[in-house]
Amino acid sequence: MKKRWICFVLALMMTAGLLAGCGSSESGAGDAGELNVFVWTEYVPDAVFEKFEDETGIKVNVSTYSSNEDMLAKVKSESEGAYDVVLPSDYMIEQMIAQDMLEELDQDALTNLSNIGEAYLNPSYDPGNIYSVPYQGGVAAIAVNTSMTDLDITSYADLFDPSLADSLVVLDDYRAVIGMTARSMGYSMNETDPEILSQIEEKLLTLKNNIRLYDSDSPKSALISGDCSVGYVWSAEAALAMEENPDIKIVYPTEGAYLFMDNWAVLKGTKNYDGAMQFINFMLDSEVSQMVSEEFPYLNPNTAAVEAMGEEYSGNIAKNPPADVIAAGEYVQNLDTDTLAVYDEMWTKLKE
Amino acid sequence: MEKTRKHSRHSFRSNTLPAVVMTGPMTLLLILLVAVPLIYVGVMSFCSIDQYYNVVFQFTTKNYARLVSLDYMKIYGQSLLIAFVTTVICILIGYPFSWLIARTKSKYKKILYMLVIVPFWTNSLIRVYGWRTFLGTNGWLNTALQFLHLTDGPLNFLYNRGTTILGMVYCLLPFMILPLYTSIEKLDQSLLEASADLGAKKAATFVEVVLPLTAGGIFSGSIMIFIPCLGYFFISDILGGGNSDVIGNLIERQFQSGNNWPLGAALSIVLIVITLILVKLYQRMGGSMENLGV
Amino acid sequence: MKRKKRERNRKRLSALFCALVYLFLFLPISVIVVNSMNATTSKPYLSWKGFTLDWYVKLFDNSSLLQSFGNTMVIAIVSTLLATVIGTLGAVGMYRYKFKGKALLDGLLYIPVVIPEIVLGISLLTIFALVDIPRGMLTLILAHVTFCVPYVIFNVRARLAGYDSSIEEASLDLGANRIRTFFEITLPVLAPGIAGGALLAFTLSIDDVIISYFVNGQTKTFPLKVMESIKSGVAPDVNALSTLILLGTIVLVVLTQSDLLKIKKKVKR
Repeated sequence: MKKRWICFVLALMMTAGLLAGCGSSESGAGDAGELNVFVWTEYVPDAVFEKFEDETGIKVNVSTYSSNEDMLAKVKSESEGAYDVVLPSDYMIEQMIAQDMLEELDQDALTNLSNIGEAYLNPSYDPGNIYSVPYQGGVAAIAVNTSMTDLDITSYADLFDPSLADSLVVLDDYRAVIGMTARSMGYSMNETDPEILSQIEEKLLTLKNNIRLYDSDSPKSALISGDCSVGYVWSAEAALAMEENPDIKIVYPTEGAYLFMDNWAVLKGTKNYDGAMQFINFMLDSEVSQMVSEEFPYLNPNTAAVEAMGEEYSGNIAKNPPADVIAAGEYVQNLDTDTLAVYDEMWTKLKE
Repeated sequence: MEKTRKHSRHSFRSNTLPAVVMTGPMTLLLILLVAVPLIYVGVMSFCSIDQYYNVVFQFTTKNYARLVSLDYMKIYGQSLLIAFVTTVICILIGYPFSWLIARTKSKYKKILYMLVIVPFWTNSLIRVYGWRTFLGTNGWLNTALQFLHLTDGPLNFLYNRGTTILGMVYCLLPFMILPLYTSIEKLDQSLLEASADLGAKKAATFVEVVLPLTAGGIFSGSIMIFIPCLGYFFISDILGGGNSDVIGNLIERQFQSGNNWPLGAALSIVLIVITLILVKLYQRMGGSMENLGV
Repeated sequence: MKRKKRERNRKRLSALFCALVYLFLFLPISVIVVNSMNATTSKPYLSWKGFTLDWYVKLFDNSSLLQSFGNTMVIAIVSTLLATVIGTLGAVGMYRYKFKGKALLDGLLYIPVVIPEIVLGISLLTIFALVDIPRGMLTLILAHVTFCVPYVIFNVRARLAGYDSSIEEASLDLGANRIRTFFEITLPVLAPGIAGGALLAFTLSIDDVIISYFVNGQTKTFPLKVMESIKSGVAPDVNALSTLILLGTIVLVVLTQSDLLKIKKKVKR
């Protein structure tokens, strides 16, 4: 009996060692160092990482997050150098620059930067693209399963309609949901006036009855499975849900939508700066960018890739949001901690 | 015992080394990784944050002031309610079930017991997710109901307080069954017979003889279910859809997207206090701490 | 007659009740097993697209999944070994010696068992962040050892309750030194308690989600990998690996249990 136990433990150890070993030695990667990449869930295809590993021999360790704030919390709680490359949105880039968390990019290494359209360069949150380059962007849009609701949804305000009781999937992201509520009332997503905020709060709480599920990672799942009939989701999630179920339609709100642009950046204290620059430049490659758009069809600032993909991509309004939608939309901005505490409290009330 | 004590008095010096060698690693571990971190959480709960959410060591009671607001109270209430209902359901299902398998004369008794433990060997998250697949709008249950023409369209089972409780019961039920099984199995058959011989009705025997003897199992099972319920944030995430948060969700949010560690620390202190009250209550009722760990 | 009938009905009812409870316990497991054989390849992997066993093969190409399982096994084995050694020594030491602060130590021991895991998780996270230990394998093992040690101690202690220390003294009297006595006399007596504690520690370690979630850094354990895959729909290969793990454990238990039975028979003879 004792011997059996020892044999059992030894066998366990051997399997463990074997598995741990094969994970790291496989695919020949790792010879040229490692790169720790921290990205949004459902945003960068596995195949792209594999391609990068094959081409450079750098092993990529991928971790994922569900919101900008999650990413910030995790990066800050970790030791310096734990992550090399991150993918924050516009306002978060600005905040991280202000906190001196980002490393300047080596412009000479970014030979593929010319692929990015003029309109997407030199953004207000990072003038001159000193710290970041755009990856993908989009809209927090509305997805409607027309076979499950008769309501003609055209605006964020329609999401508050009582007939949608217990049928919405919304982003689990407080800036996005509170911002949407503000837009539906004609306010900005970045209001700080306490009076207006309390009005927004009142309206926000009426949404509670309609929300069935909070999901930022893959809200398309609930739409495809039929668990939810209407969604307040990232535009590509709507596009992917539409591919699975033709009854699902995308709606850009008449009030002007929540916009975002996510950007590659390198963290201070990185242990592999060259690898990080290599990776970012790789992501700007037009072929790689096409691979990305095929799996996660967001607004692609890589004009070279967009041209190559043709009508299939640019003619699809869910994948490639029309220019007037972008023009009418609004980006999230950084707010002071006191205001954000109010936002956080509103969120807590909504979720109780 | 007497002898050991004499022994140690005689050769105190020679006993110091073995005592340190034996209890040293454990003491170090408990102090560095249990006591110090918890004290630090207590300290942090009185700290402030700067404009970038960094913790600054500046005394404030603001975190606790925020906690006593009605909104947080409602979530505590909801969390306690979920924990209470879960515990009651676990007793109602667990007691008769443990009774039946502990007192069966079947030769498969041991297997019946093992079958309660087997589900534990599959990752708990994936089992909870299994419920989501089962209960979904186009899940197994709805498909079956429609196939049998019991319902016309799919029913909404998921993403409410009920499904959260279902998940909690599912994950924690064995913690009720196992201690009850042990205490019921220990029951002396002759005692029950004696009670019956003395003319006691079945109900009276149960209330006056059986229940007091198995109360220990109920209490330790309850405490092992009630307390984790307050913290299991992943169940309310997966099955509650974010609509039935427990205290654990509040803490998790402040350490992740909320980025407010001091507030999260204050929430944790509240949870610790609730736990301590429950444990005291448990001890007051005669529960033994040893039963919780074995 | 009537009584017999009632008795029979009662028995049937009991059997039905038990069957329902087992159904409840095993239902999600059947979902996992069935979904591991689903031919679907599109997220969220919910609709049934036909039967296949491909996932059991493809699973071995998914290096990040295998790696996470490997990590879980390494962490579980290392922390079980450490917790067992530290716990056994501690339990015997606390049983045998009196020292200042013993009561306090005893109280500390219950904390990891009683407080909700999330509190232990965040407290370890804050302290690891404070002293800036890089999160990863090391912090995971430290955390797992922390919550496993009390369980080992309690199990060993239960065994110590019925322990007759006079044989130890006899051994010392006969000239054996302390270390030899510990290994040859004390340990064999405590073995069942130690094994029970180790098994419990192992089980807790491989299934831990909440504490690992806060201290893992970029090292993924199998439960954390599952958590991540739940975000976008659990892929059939994750279900396949779960099914294999379950089968493996069942086989293991059947082997060791039949072993136990045999030994008992021998003793009887």
